[in-house]
Amino acid sequence: MSDVDLVEAVSVLRDEVLDTQEYGDRDPPGSEFFEALLRALTVGGDSVPGLDLTLHDAVARRLAWGDSEEVVLSDAELVFDRMIIACQRAFRDPADQMVVIEASTLVAVTVARVVSMAAVARASRDRAARLREEMAQRQLREVLEKQKATIALLESEIKDYR
Amino acid sequence: MRVAGDTNVGKIRTTNEDSMIVEPAKGLYAVLDGMGGANAGDIASQMARDALHEYVTQRRGSLAPRQLLEAAIQAGSAAVYKASQANRERHGMGTTVVACLIVDPNHVVVGHVGDSRCYLLRQGRLQALTRDHTIVEELVDRGLLTPDEAERHPYKNVLSRNLGARPETRVDLVELELKPGDRLLLCSDGLYGYSSVEAIQYVLGSGDAPDHVARDLIDLALRGGGGDNVSTIVIEAPQAAPTASTVVKTSGAMAWWQKRQRFLQIAKDRGLPKNAIVRGLSPDEALELVGLSLCQAIFHDLEKSTGVNVWTFAQNLADGWFERGGEWAAVRSLMDILGTCARVCVDEVRGSDAQLGFLLDVAVSRALVVAELALGGLLAERLRQVDSDLIELQSVQHGLADQAAATEDPDSNAQWVDRPTIPFLRPDRPVTNTGMSEEVMDGMSKTMTIARARTSPRAELVKHVLTSLSKVAGDGGGNFATAVLEARELYGVRPVDDAGVMPLFDALDTARIISASSVHQIQATEATRAKVLLALSTAHQRLVGACTGLVLEASIPYSERLRDVAAITSEMRTQVAEAEKKRAALEREHAVNIDSSLPWGSRGNTEW
Repeated sequence: MSDVDLVEAVSVLRDEVLDTQEYGDRDPPGSEFFEALLRALTVGGDSVPGLDLTLHDAVARRLAWGDSEEVVLSDAELVFDRMIIACQRAFRDPADQMVVIEASTLVAVTVARVVSMAAVARASRDRAARLREEMAQRQLREVLEKQKATIALLESEIKDYR
Repeated sequence: MRVAGDTNVGKIRTTNEDSMIVEPAKGLYAVLDGMGGANAGDIASQMARDALHEYVTQRRGSLAPRQLLEAAIQAGSAAVYKASQANRERHGMGTTVVACLIVDPNHVVVGHVGDSRCYLLRQGRLQALTRDHTIVEELVDRGLLTPDEAERHPYKNVLSRNLGARPETRVDLVELELKPGDRLLLCSDGLYGYSSVEAIQYVLGSGDAPDHVARDLIDLALRGGGGDNVSTIVIEAPQAAPTASTVVKTSGAMAWWQKRQRFLQIAKDRGLPKNAIVRGLSPDEALELVGLSLCQAIFHDLEKSTGVNVWTFAQNLADGWFERGGEWAAVRSLMDILGTCARVCVDEVRGSDAQLGFLLDVAVSRALVVAELALGGLLAERLRQVDSDLIELQSVQHGLADQAAATEDPDSNAQWVDRPTIPFLRPDRPVTNTGMSEEVMDGMSKTMTIARARTSPRAELVKHVLTSLSKVAGDGGGNFATAVLEARELYGVRPVDDAGVMPLFDALDTARIISASSVHQIQATEATRAKVLLALSTAHQRLVGACTGLVLEASIPYSERLRDVAAITSEMRTQVAEAEKKRAALEREHAVNIDSSLPWGSRGNTEW
């Protein structure tokens, strides 16, 4: 491996990877994933996926703010794709390339995992909510039956009176 | 024609009053059961026997068989009558008779007087050819007794006819065409009186030789009490020449089974244990599992003239293999090996016995065709499945196109039109692994080999991921199709919950870590390693992305169902609110006009 500070070298690629000029002052989509890549390079090498709690938070925040899972995943893939291309061009030393590729893959698959977990959690919530709705429907059905019976009785008595 | 007779004094009597004629040269067989005072029964039966035998011997060519037998029995009766009249002590002696005259191998005449019987066993069914000449039986014939009453009648054994009571007697005659394998049984009442008809049928139909059968029938009567003298004669019509199917069922099946070791040896020589289907098994296990199973299946099918065992064998073999994602070529190769082994074995049988070999060749060829048909059916089934999958995919694509058109339509009121949710189908993704050099391909292959070796044997899913990974990495098309297909294979059918989905992602992560570290172990330049890692990482990212897409896809129906159910609940709430308004109005009217004493809402006010 060369003596290049990989974190610094990858930071230089930020504009290229995130296409920041398109977004002006705003954070470009996928910036949290780029940050996660830098963190992965800081700790160095492979790590257990899912340990980067900051990345978890970032994904959860985006989902909470209304971004769909597909959009989040798509951004992560975009960062990965661009990073791979940029790193092949930017790093001459294959060993450096390999470190960056591994870190980029780690980030991309971690995002995919977090997104999947979010989708699974959403499905569970939807399942539970549907159950509640169905229980409410059962109660409403009973209420409607009672109402119909009362209305029929009242209509019959009023009809007799008339 | 095989014939045998036997007689026994029984367990109670001290003398045997039965007599028999077993004369194959003259085709005359008879059982006579004597009766009468002291020592007179056996004399009567012997006297009648001798007279009968002599008459037939002297007049065999001069009278027609039917007349000959009747006259011979009459002669016997006359002889006994004459003797009984001549000696006071023998007065009243007599005998029954059942005689069978063989006219030719297919034609017999049976005559009888008294209660000795003749049975015919044809195709396993026993049928009485004679009717007892007893008083009770004649009362039954006249309708004066029922068969049940006759069975309990005290005079059920009292004869209405016999030889010796009068100079002449009436003889009942039956002419019969024998069929191949038919068996006739002539017996005295000591047999059927002490054993059931079912037991007689069982012993007579056992297939044993007539001498064994005759002896076994005597044993049967003795085990039943042996209260009377017992005599039996078994006559067996010649067996039909064995048919081709009989030969195959017996000698063919046996010859095949004796060749099983040879079959396995040829299969081993032809490389059966190396076939992909049995990979992982020891050669002996492979031979036993496939070779011996086919041998057994063919053997049982030959025995029963069916194809069901071979059919099941072929289906199980191929179905299990296809279920594991195996390729058709392996099945084809295995069937070719098995077919060759069978042909060699049959040729060897043909070498020692041309006729049997020919029949076996036809039968085994049929079995192999059945196996091919089973495989054909299986392939057709799989093709139908692929066909329906394609149709489903096509309709999903059309559905997506329709939804896209609806979304673009500004006037569309569709509130819940779903967007395509499969991110890996994004068309603008760069293709990053096209044009891999041979060196990189070789490095990737080595990496995957090392990775597989480092994977725990029980980690099936990880191994599956590694296989998928090499396929995706080797796909130069860049259209993600392989990633999608492999992801679907990996995803299979899973519940959308942590227990269902997370093991897949764990396996994907494990495979990533193993494959990435394996890259560093291959013998290659650093640059090549980097390219291999790039290819594998890209493939891995695509695979994970595709799997995530599938999870998202699987979670959509939950949201849709919730929306549908929520809409129905909302509709119901509206209905309840409207009904409540109507009820309130009616109650108000009722209180004003009919009964103001009732408080507001006291008439079944709804609670919700």
